[in-house]
Amino acid sequence: MLPAECARRLMAEIQGALDACSERQRQLERSLRVSRRLLRAWDVDPESWEPAGTPIPEPPPGSETKEEDPAPACAQSLQDLKELELLTQALEKAVRVRKGMSSARQRDRTPSLTSASTVATAGTTASAPSQASRQAGNRASARPTKGTHQAMDPAKNLPAHKLLSVRSKTPVGAGAGTTKHEPGLRDQQTTAPSAPPRTTEAFTLKEKGTLLQLPVAFRKAVSKNSRLWAQLSSMQTSDSTDATRAAKAQFLQKLQMVSGSSRPSAAEIEAEARSLRKACALLRLRMQEELSVAPADWMEEYRCLLTLEGLQAIVEQCLHRLQELQAAVMGGLPEPCAAGKATQASLPCGGKADLSWSPQLLLYSSTQELQTLATLKLRVAMLEQQIHLEKVLMAELLPLIRTWEPQGAPWLALCRAAYSLLCQGGERFLTILRDDPAD
Amino acid sequence: MGRRRRREDRAAGALPEAIAALSRSLPAGPSPEIFRRAKFDRPEAAPALWQLLFRVLSPLATDKTGATLVPEFQVRLVKSVLRSQGYPRSVLAQRSEGNSQSSRELLLALSWLLARGPLLEQLLAQSRVQLGDQVSLFESVVLARPGPPASCMEIEGPVDLHQVQWLMGKLRIRWRQLLSSQQEHCSLLSKIHLYTCGSHSHQRFSHLSVAETEMLRDPDNTQQLLQALECENVRLEAALEWRRCELVFWQWMDTVLGACTPGAPAVPSQPLTLPVIPERGLGELELVAWELQALQEELQEAAEPRRAAWEAQVSSLGRGPEWITARKTLQETVEQELTALQRSWEQSGGPPQLQRPHRLVRSKDGTPGPQDLQAAEMIRMLRTQEASLDGSLRQLQDQCQQELARLAGTLPGLIWILAPGH
Repeated sequence: MLPAECARRLMAEIQGALDACSERQRQLERSLRVSRRLLRAWDVDPESWEPAGTPIPEPPPGSETKEEDPAPACAQSLQDLKELELLTQALEKAVRVRKGMSSARQRDRTPSLTSASTVATAGTTASAPSQASRQAGNRASARPTKGTHQAMDPAKNLPAHKLLSVRSKTPVGAGAGTTKHEPGLRDQQTTAPSAPPRTTEAFTLKEKGTLLQLPVAFRKAVSKNSRLWAQLSSMQTSDSTDATRAAKAQFLQKLQMVSGSSRPSAAEIEAEARSLRKACALLRLRMQEELSVAPADWMEEYRCLLTLEGLQAIVEQCLHRLQELQAAVMGGLPEPCAAGKATQASLPCGGKADLSWSPQLLLYSSTQELQTLATLKLRVAMLEQQIHLEKVLMAELLPLIRTWEPQGAPWLALCRAAYSLLCQGGERFLTILRDDPAD
Repeated sequence: MGRRRRREDRAAGALPEAIAALSRSLPAGPSPEIFRRAKFDRPEAAPALWQLLFRVLSPLATDKTGATLVPEFQVRLVKSVLRSQGYPRSVLAQRSEGNSQSSRELLLALSWLLARGPLLEQLLAQSRVQLGDQVSLFESVVLARPGPPASCMEIEGPVDLHQVQWLMGKLRIRWRQLLSSQQEHCSLLSKIHLYTCGSHSHQRFSHLSVAETEMLRDPDNTQQLLQALECENVRLEAALEWRRCELVFWQWMDTVLGACTPGAPAVPSQPLTLPVIPERGLGELELVAWELQALQEELQEAAEPRRAAWEAQVSSLGRGPEWITARKTLQETVEQELTALQRSWEQSGGPPQLQRPHRLVRSKDGTPGPQDLQAAEMIRMLRTQEASLDGSLRQLQDQCQQELARLAGTLPGLIWILAPGH
């Protein structure tokens, strides 16, 4: 069992680390959701979707498409779509029938027409008994005669092509929309073997990502934004007029004088603690360097000695400074609250933040590289956290081990657990054997 | 005469305009009238100023939270943050928690914040609309330092080391999960960048970011982003205007300070009413103290015998003049080295360029601009950092092992069997 205070501190630290991890995970998952959604087929609303410019290298569709393309009423476009579907079906079928019947030349054109149209109507009436499609079927049956009559003319294949291309260019929104509203139609298409292989025509980033274009209003706002930022940062770096700076300094000074003593703020204390920590690490490194080299002659020996004593002096200074800081903390400087902590991170005291804004990019060239970069970043963060926790554990557990009664079973358990935590990162355990001398 | 009159009028009008510009560039900025009233310490000006300071000092506050939070909480937070930033005037802290007092003090606090550093720019940078996939290379600091400890954490029953072990294992699993999620995220990002190549009109990169693509997918998003951008533009313009004419404001603030002095004598800092259990701050300092003391002991152990050996040797080495000069040069070189060492940790950590977030861009040809970073370089840098951190961790672990061996070695009759693969 651990003493309460010690336990509370340990748990608080580890729980803090766990929370930091979870927070990061949550953020990642949010981004993942967004990205996954982007890479799937987009569920586009036919009314509001604007086709991205005209980068599609196809002959611009005729006026028909303009009327059929994002039609103000969803229903109307759906109707048209249905009709087009049936039309094209009928056309295809008619073409095939016509080809197939070219051998049987006795048949008149009209019967072929009627047979085509009857086939078409038969196809439509044999469809799923959804009311809408029946309606469409009825209406469409009137049309195919006109359409197919046109298409039958071998010389005028253009309308057919037009219709076909229109179909393929039908607002992809409507395509997705029909998937929503008209499953019956879809079935009808797939069952009719003559139906041309129709892709779902939903928008996917993979196929059409290069066609996207940012809206004009947005681009204008972005360029204005960058211009303003550049102006602001250049104004800052080129310094406001001397008079302003002097006025500000004077104000600060007066405020300071009128208000009494100043003590170091918590932010400054934190910064000093950080720098002292760095100092300790560097000093230790230096000491190890000195101790690892065996001195060759008296000069080396002397140098080594001087360095070690110099390091000692510096450590004395650091400890002294640390005591001063501790006194300041004890003397009434309360704990900055959570928000204060966050503010310190974002408002570095004295305005050391470098705000020169210029477009800064991080260039990567392959997925592999990006993944390596991200992994390394995480590993560095993880190691820093591990080091911190290791220090905390050392500070809490080692004194306990020193002060407890040795030889008791709980002490051994403590030792074993401490060993695994401190020396193996909690990953492996050791075994302790009691070797009783044979009596 | 007329000209001077006009100049005076212009001067008189310049102040409200300057304050209006300041207000426009701040979040929740009050009207110039509030500022004027605050100079005369009118109570009706206080709530707006409390609100403003709250929005400025608390990065988490938005319009929504500001309205729902109890005013006392706002007041306490503002006071606490000002204190932790080192605000010298203690008058504000010592007044009771009344919301309607001290509007002049609030005005002084605001001016102090404005004068100390580029507050406006920092606020704007904080709330900046991010369009690209931002990557910041030093955010690891946030993860490594656990957040403020839950000092009100309830521990049910006695805590065993097993619980600690279990939690550490949980932490390890979370890290692994994080790593794998991160891998997936990277591959998705890379795909999006690849598929949208050619859609962006920027001079140096040609693909869209996730935010931009999301905007195109969802038109509502476009509206939101546009609005946010436009708001930011308005604030930027106001900030530029402020920078041009802020001198008037500082001259005026001098008068405010003048009006203030008789009523608020210099008060020595006394222990304040809030409880003083700076656990976090003290904990941090304690850790450093502990480390430094351990280092001091080690140095002592290393240096003392060497000094003794040296003293014994010196007598046998003779005392020629070269001897003295040699010693002196040695002393000087060592001094120089140590001062250089001392300077190295007093500098701020890391080149400032790396601390800002960068936009992630996929590009095959490596033509980086002056301020751009290359992933390959960053990878190298991170690898060295990782290696050094790994080294320090191992060193700590070795230290522990030695210490434990020493402590347990005092007991005879125990055999410690390490796990295989160590």
